[in-house]
Amino acid sequence: MSHEGYLLLFIAVLPFVGALVPGVMIRAGRTACASFAAVPTALAFILLLMLAPSVMRGEVIQAELEWLPQLGLSASFFLDGLGLLFAGMILGVGLLIILYARFYLSHEDPVGQFYTYLLLFQGAMLGIVLSDNILLLLIFWELTSLSSFLLIGYWKHLPEGRQGARMALAVTGAGGLAMIGGMLILGSIAGSYNLTDILEQGDAIRASDWYMPALILILLGAFTKSAQFPFHFWLPHAMAAPTPVSAYLHSATMVKAGVFLLARMWPVLSGTDAWFYIVATTGLVTMVLGALIALFKDDLKALLAFSTVSHLGLLTMLLGFGTQAAAVAAVFHIINHLTFKAALFMTAGIVDHETHTRDIKRLGGLRHLMPVTFVIGTVAALSMAGIPLFNGFLSKEMMLEEASHTYWAGSAYAVPVMATIGALLSVAYSLRFISHVFLGPQRDDYPHKPHDPPFGMWASPGLLIVLVLLIGVAPFVADGIVATAASAVTGAELHPHLKIWHGVTPALWMSVAAVAGGVVLLSAHAPLDRLWAAAPRPEAKAIFHRLVAAVVGFSRWFTEVTHNGAISRYLAIFTLASVLVGWMAYRGSGLPLPTRGLLPVPPVIAVGWILLIAATAYVVVVHHNRFQSLVLIGIIGLMISAGFVYLSAPDLALTQISVETVTIMLLLLALNFMPQMTPKESSMGRKLRDAIIAVAAGGSVGALAYAFMLRDVETISDYHLANSYEGGGGTNVVNVILVDFRGYDTYGEIIVLGIAGFVIYALMRALLDGPAARRLRTLEFGYNISKDRHPLMMVVVTRVLMPIAVVVGIYIFLRGHNQPGGGFVAGLVIAIALLMQYMASGFFWTQARKKIEYHTLIGIGVVIAGLTGAGAWLYARPFLTSSYTYVHWPPIEEFELATAMLFDLGVFLTVLGAVMLMLYSLSRIARYAGETVNVEPMDYDPGERAEEKVEA
Amino acid sequence: MTASDLSILLPEIVIAVYAMAALLFAVYTGKDKLAPTLVWGTAAVFVLCAAWIGLTGGGTNLAFGGSYVDDAFARFAKVVILLSAAAVLVMSEGYMSRRDLLRFEYPILVALAAVGMMVMVSAHDLIVLYMGLELQSLALYVVASLRRDSAKSTEAGLKYFVLGALSSGLLLYGASLTYGYAGTTQFAGIVEAASGEISLGLLFGLVFLLSGFAFKVSAAPFHMWTPDVYEGAPTPVTAFFATAPKMAAMGLFARVVHDAFGNIPADWGQIIAFLSVLSMFLGAIAAIGQRNIKRLMAYSSIAHMGYALMGLAAGTAFGVQAMLIYMAIYVTMNIGTFAFILSMERDGSPVTDIGALNQLSKSEPLKALAVLILMFSLAGVPPLVGFFGKFYVLRAAVEAGYAWLAIAGVIASVIGAFYYLRIVFYMYFGEEGDGLDRGMAPVPWAMLMLAAFAMVAGVVNLFGIEGLAAAAAATLVN
Repeated sequence: MSHEGYLLLFIAVLPFVGALVPGVMIRAGRTACASFAAVPTALAFILLLMLAPSVMRGEVIQAELEWLPQLGLSASFFLDGLGLLFAGMILGVGLLIILYARFYLSHEDPVGQFYTYLLLFQGAMLGIVLSDNILLLLIFWELTSLSSFLLIGYWKHLPEGRQGARMALAVTGAGGLAMIGGMLILGSIAGSYNLTDILEQGDAIRASDWYMPALILILLGAFTKSAQFPFHFWLPHAMAAPTPVSAYLHSATMVKAGVFLLARMWPVLSGTDAWFYIVATTGLVTMVLGALIALFKDDLKALLAFSTVSHLGLLTMLLGFGTQAAAVAAVFHIINHLTFKAALFMTAGIVDHETHTRDIKRLGGLRHLMPVTFVIGTVAALSMAGIPLFNGFLSKEMMLEEASHTYWAGSAYAVPVMATIGALLSVAYSLRFISHVFLGPQRDDYPHKPHDPPFGMWASPGLLIVLVLLIGVAPFVADGIVATAASAVTGAELHPHLKIWHGVTPALWMSVAAVAGGVVLLSAHAPLDRLWAAAPRPEAKAIFHRLVAAVVGFSRWFTEVTHNGAISRYLAIFTLASVLVGWMAYRGSGLPLPTRGLLPVPPVIAVGWILLIAATAYVVVVHHNRFQSLVLIGIIGLMISAGFVYLSAPDLALTQISVETVTIMLLLLALNFMPQMTPKESSMGRKLRDAIIAVAAGGSVGALAYAFMLRDVETISDYHLANSYEGGGGTNVVNVILVDFRGYDTYGEIIVLGIAGFVIYALMRALLDGPAARRLRTLEFGYNISKDRHPLMMVVVTRVLMPIAVVVGIYIFLRGHNQPGGGFVAGLVIAIALLMQYMASGFFWTQARKKIEYHTLIGIGVVIAGLTGAGAWLYARPFLTSSYTYVHWPPIEEFELATAMLFDLGVFLTVLGAVMLMLYSLSRIARYAGETVNVEPMDYDPGERAEEKVEA
Repeated sequence: MTASDLSILLPEIVIAVYAMAALLFAVYTGKDKLAPTLVWGTAAVFVLCAAWIGLTGGGTNLAFGGSYVDDAFARFAKVVILLSAAAVLVMSEGYMSRRDLLRFEYPILVALAAVGMMVMVSAHDLIVLYMGLELQSLALYVVASLRRDSAKSTEAGLKYFVLGALSSGLLLYGASLTYGYAGTTQFAGIVEAASGEISLGLLFGLVFLLSGFAFKVSAAPFHMWTPDVYEGAPTPVTAFFATAPKMAAMGLFARVVHDAFGNIPADWGQIIAFLSVLSMFLGAIAAIGQRNIKRLMAYSSIAHMGYALMGLAAGTAFGVQAMLIYMAIYVTMNIGTFAFILSMERDGSPVTDIGALNQLSKSEPLKALAVLILMFSLAGVPPLVGFFGKFYVLRAAVEAGYAWLAIAGVIASVIGAFYYLRIVFYMYFGEEGDGLDRGMAPVPWAMLMLAAFAMVAGVVNLFGIEGLAAAAAATLVN
């Protein structure tokens, strides 16, 4: 990095370092704060002037520091003509504003804070114009929004100040965020985030498919910042800020950031039709509209604000033309506008400061009371009007000249006519500023008797109008800087010669027409003003607020519809979304042709299938009746089990049937305590909606399953089939999987089952201590309870069945390893046998004959299974490795003994214990509900007279 | 199962054993009286484990035959998870004690959830994945309804549970399809099966897995539980929901798409992009109408997940790095913001209406400034750290050819900026009205200030997480 590069870095950093000082010395007073703000600014300005000669020679000074290289972000700066022009403006006007604000602010204001924000803003602005990295530029860009937010909100007691700050930040902040996208695309096309690299890639960028999105996003940033139509409305409202802020931010610097960006990106983005039509048209519309509104504003600052909008439009339009001459005019007008507009703002501030009002209607005749202010204001306003010998005239002529030969959509007149109208309106409001404030008769009802301010306050605008006159009379003084800046904008070597007289050109006639028309318009101002006030017109601010309200309203409506708190709606959305992503997946891949056909469907199977479907459909219809639903669910389970049998999965069928039986029995017992019907809550329309969603989801899953089944897939069944006997010692593959291949899972599962049993038991205890118990005690059964709850036949049959069931259970357990069966099913079978005892003979009677606690049963089961697994460790094998052997005891045939069987025993015990524990919990509810407890097996003993029932 | 396998997941084991021991100890001794001690103890364990994982770990280690992996990616995610969980724990202690909500189960459940999250980001097998996911979810279902006497809290917990069970079902359906068509549950095997033109079964498996993950990260359209749970759960729990579990779910998301489906980025990139764009817009639009700051943060988190997913959609190492950086920043911002929300009280009882923020800058200028920084950072406004996160993911998307997604993201961020800025407006320019109580408990205050400071100071070098995230991403994508 060169020596000059270090200087450049220093310039960029100075304001930020300087910003720290005034903030911490608030007590030191206005002069001290202002001085400490002025020192870094002046220093930076001097350093800039030191660098100026080499830039004027056409050199580009660069400085780079690594920051976050991976992101493409580096703290790199460069100084070319455009940067020099803007940096000079920012620092020069900054100095003047610091001086001006020293006198403008009062003792009570927190001056230190003000200067801190001001320097922070200055640093951010400098950053924008010096950045050589578009990410760095973005950072500084938003930093200006933030610091201007703080500056605008500085006088936060004013309600319009609040609104102004809010709108300014919302609009410019949003624009800046949009610009992130544009910069990102630009960087990605150019392959670098360095501005100097990007500027060389103009052709590639214009040819890219992503040129349009990038252009629009960047223009959004630039237009919002520079208050271009339709985002122009925020600027006038931000004017509630202190006048030094308005003068600095809203005329000289921040709002020019957008224009700066357009100029900066000119070599890359301009030259296309899109650029011309979007940028030039926006600029033209903004210019005319801003000028028109300015004419009818009574607030001095509002008038100047809309005039600023208008001039920014002019600049935008010139850059939008895309020609080199227009770029030169734009650069020149940037300088001129800066000088006269900052002077005008400060004049307005002085008037406000002295008279305590900015309302034009309450002013007039100030020329004798404030002669110095009058001179300054008049010179600046005449320049704004574009009167010869003032600098505003020169650049306006150049603008009209460019406009006069610009075609818009084939029309040769559209742009010149509109430009002339804009200039005309500009003359009118400029002259109004002079005549309605300073001319006219002196009044005696000023809110405060005005007089000229101290020198310190008018020194800054005074210096600016010297420049106005100097450039206006001798434009060649600006030749050098305009040439350098314009060359930097266009990327071509330009040597414009600025002069006053161009001969009698169309531009001159347009100018004459503008001045004459402006005078006429002003003379008719009073009636026009009444007309304007009466005319209905769209108020941009109101539209903005309505827009915001509409968005908020839409958002509320949207959340109320979708997030209304009803889980049914959430489930509906969830289900639909799942179907949608499924559909996306289906669309995204080609489905291979089916490799399998449909199996033959024998009539029996068809009947089973129809039963299954019919029962399912019928559940939907009668689901309000709980008992009927349960019966139907039983049918469904049975049909599924039958399906397993048919498809040669006897193991599954056995398990399914026993599980089905147990759960139906438990549910039947639970139904006892519930209302017979569930309430009806859904309307017909909702039912229809739900039906559609359900059919869509169910149908999709069904279709998916069908599609899978029609196609061959590699499965892992073969592995299990091959290894089941050799590895696990069993021919029943399902059982071997359960106790051997996936023994670990099974071990986990039985623990979970056991815990579930415990949890139900514990929860029930907790529940029955609370309000649930009270409800149960007062529970009214809505139907007649059978007087004979334990009928003789039932008791006898279950007693007889008991040993048979137990034998079946043992049989199923023992054959499990090689034939359908196993510990799980055995546990369920025996549980069913016991359940029947409980149901037939009554809870108490059965309970009295129980020898082992169910808790213990679960514990023993888990321990046995665990020890079996751990036993493998003794033989240095991993947990749950099974082993088996064949035993031959003479009377019996040879049989197999596997450790897996021991494991299965654990499973058996746990299942049994858990099921019974659940039953026990249910019976507790029953007792709370007033169920009597019997000690005898039957309510009516046929042998004797029935004994008295014993209350619990 | 060997000693080396166990040593790889020793941090998880330590936390799990700690949680169980603490549970037993507390049950048999002081119960809720021990809760504050347990909160601080758990946080200390988290911080120590984070330091242990972050400072001593190295390389890529597989355990249990490739079912479990400990690599730079997992370590990055785990450190974020543990530190954010610890931060949320310590800042919730005062709030919960004052409202008599502090049960001793709370820190223990958080510890168990943390173990689940650590397993999630280290999972290298569908079964391990599911185990971690459910361990985390079950603990979260319970903490969501921690305030048992509040109908809203229990309702939120129940809804979360029902929807969570549904999503788990969907995820399992996807996992079983994947297993069926890949023939293995291990990612190393799946990635071989899932290459080139993949079968429809595998594709469906992938899609349903992604849908399940989308629920966990609360990406639209599987986000429905988020606003209700955020609103209904006690605020410290909401803070927890908004931080560590999001990182874990995102880590899991990245892990699965890259480790198991890394050969077919085009197939999942589209789906993630779809989730991303939907989340960003839904979050941005729905938050505009919110006045309850907890619901607002819920939608905000949905939008943020959209951005994080954008990095993932890119399918590149840079995208994963962007996602990790984004998540680390997001978590920090949320800790700060929720520390502030915890302090939102009027007359000692919590308020959630954002109208209560009016004129905060006048009564508490420093606090207001900190919140302002956090809000701007959440909105992604340069130069705050939030912008870097956003820019990372946007850039990842553009470079991977998802420029449309990046543009959509930018537009959504413009919309989303509105509600963050509105909070700032209320604080600085709001109308006079009933303000908030002044003062703030020291721990949340420190968290708020630290987070805000980090958002500003982080612009220097993002605290060096760039390189760590890059290393983490490099182990995942190759």
